Amino acid sequence: MSPIDLLPQAVANGLLLGGIYALAALGLSLIFGIMDIVNLAHGHLLMFGGYVAIILLAMFGVTPLAGMLVAIVLLFAIGVFLERVLLDRVVDGGIEQPILVLFGVALVFQNLGQHFLGSNAHSTTLGFNGHLAFGPIQLSSSRAITFVLAVVLVALTWAFLEYTTTGHAIRATSQNREAARYVGIDTDRIYMVTMGVGSALAGAAGALLSVLFPISPYLGWSYLLKAFAVVVLGGVGSIAGTLVGGLIIGSAENVTAILLGGSYRDIATFLIFLLVLLVRPQGLFGSRSGGE
Amino acid sequence: MSRWSESLFASRRTLAVGVVLFVVMAVVPFVTTAYQTTLAMTALVFVMLAVSWNLLAGYAGQISLGHAAFFGMGAYVAAWLTKPGAANLPSWISLHPIIALNPVLGLLVAMILGGLASAVLALAVGPMMFRLRGHYFAIGTLALAAIIRLVMTDQRTLSGGSTGYYPSQVMGATDTYLVTLFVAAAITLASYFVVNSRLGLGMQAINDDEVAASGLGVSPLRYKMYAFVLTSFMAGIAGSSYALNQLYINPTSTLGVNWTVQTLVVVVLGGMGTLAGPLFGTVVFVVIDNLLSSVVGSLATTVEGIIIILFVILLPSGVYGYARSYLAEGTDREPALTEA
Repeated sequence: MSPIDLLPQAVANGLLLGGIYALAALGLSLIFGIMDIVNLAHGHLLMFGGYVAIILLAMFGVTPLAGMLVAIVLLFAIGVFLERVLLDRVVDGGIEQPILVLFGVALVFQNLGQHFLGSNAHSTTLGFNGHLAFGPIQLSSSRAITFVLAVVLVALTWAFLEYTTTGHAIRATSQNREAARYVGIDTDRIYMVTMGVGSALAGAAGALLSVLFPISPYLGWSYLLKAFAVVVLGGVGSIAGTLVGGLIIGSAENVTAILLGGSYRDIATFLIFLLVLLVRPQGLFGSRSGGE
Repeated sequence: MSRWSESLFASRRTLAVGVVLFVVMAVVPFVTTAYQTTLAMTALVFVMLAVSWNLLAGYAGQISLGHAAFFGMGAYVAAWLTKPGAANLPSWISLHPIIALNPVLGLLVAMILGGLASAVLALAVGPMMFRLRGHYFAIGTLALAAIIRLVMTDQRTLSGGSTGYYPSQVMGATDTYLVTLFVAAAITLASYFVVNSRLGLGMQAINDDEVAASGLGVSPLRYKMYAFVLTSFMAGIAGSSYALNQLYINPTSTLGVNWTVQTLVVVVLGGMGTLAGPLFGTVVFVVIDNLLSSVVGSLATTVEGIIIILFVILLPSGVYGYARSYLAEGTDREPALTEA
């Protein structure tokens, strides 16, 4: 079969993968939009979520779908901890300090992963096979299920922001921090919730990814850049944009891998990322300029 | 008296510490073991990297997370120039005629050309990267470095892939070390003059307030580019000297994010935006790193990460910055160095 014949299948797989990318990117986008901090440890939090699923499956035989729920709870707690103990002291005070602190956090996660789980990659499985066939395209059940779960979580996050009081307060803070304080919103608490939810989304994405790809301690940076590429492509603060961005990045990666070889997967994503930043910094759906 | 020499004398203490440090480093290969000399060599590479990154991040305020790209570029250019055959490059680029004439000159030329290659890379990508600001610049440079590393890893002919590349030896280990020491000292001194020059003031002006600076006729892009190209030149030299001392490099060992990490640690430890900070930071880092790897073993990076976090939160001006403000009651405060 020539690479061209494989394209529809590659695009389909890429779209399904893109759903998980969108989930990871949504967390990064929330934290960036509300706290004005790039969570440099986001990829490593994702990795941690993957390890939670891996460990639960290996030690207790827990399916990664339940592992994902545990990862969400754990990562929410870690996110709150990071915000309370570390970021609270440096947020709102220029960009260097949060960047350096989160860089340190990423190093700690990477090294702990390496130390306790070794440099080898591990993965999980849903425990059953099978696929849905649409003409020449076959969707494996694990890809389809992880995609659906990712999109459900994105939708739940949207509903949380749209319909709950806390969600309204979060959106108000992202629009104007000062004004939010004037109307009595406790922005410290909002930062805490935001960092918790953002980290939890990364953890969920990691647990889902562990079903499809092996997770190793060195993947953090790569997933950080992928998630950031999605955020930039979709526009900061736009959930629909993040979803579309994820689908685009996921399929672009798979198509590049088919056409140029697997080692160009990440290169394609990073190039798209730089190009979007340079050509359309506000993203496809965003209203805020990315130049600032 | 010119302003440079004035401020040089105004900081006699710094000068004295610098001279002592230089002499100590110069006798290291003659009085210590080979292992300790290797350690000192690593320290010199860190000094060059830290001094250069500090100019860009500490003074011009541009947090680049792509420093490793310029380090690795310098390392590979030095490797290609000393052994072009292994990468299928034409043999006329080989520096062996110069090395045969005078090894010291050959080594210096290799280092400077390595630095120039990185400077050219910075010149090419700078105008694009500086369309990004703040967070976007940081993450954009991280992506750029990742692209360069991935492409080089894929180009096995040029980089040796994961098998690596063996540059040929120019001089004995001790001589190479001494030349590197002089180059590192020259780079440190150069950063001193740059910071106290018009160029350095322009860099600090755009760091303090870009809009106000451009209102006063200091073009932000131009000064960012000066800082970026100069910084990359120095990082390239650091890479070249690493390659010619180690005599083995591969894409991960030279272009990986590790060099960026360690540079950041050194500068943050010592004190960002201070001239002596990178020197203090290097000493503290090499000692801590050595202690750590013997005490906590493979968890050393965790402790490094925690150290970065603690320093940024508790001691944001670094060891040197803290020591200076502690001692600053005296008269010999250093005029251009007070901005942390």
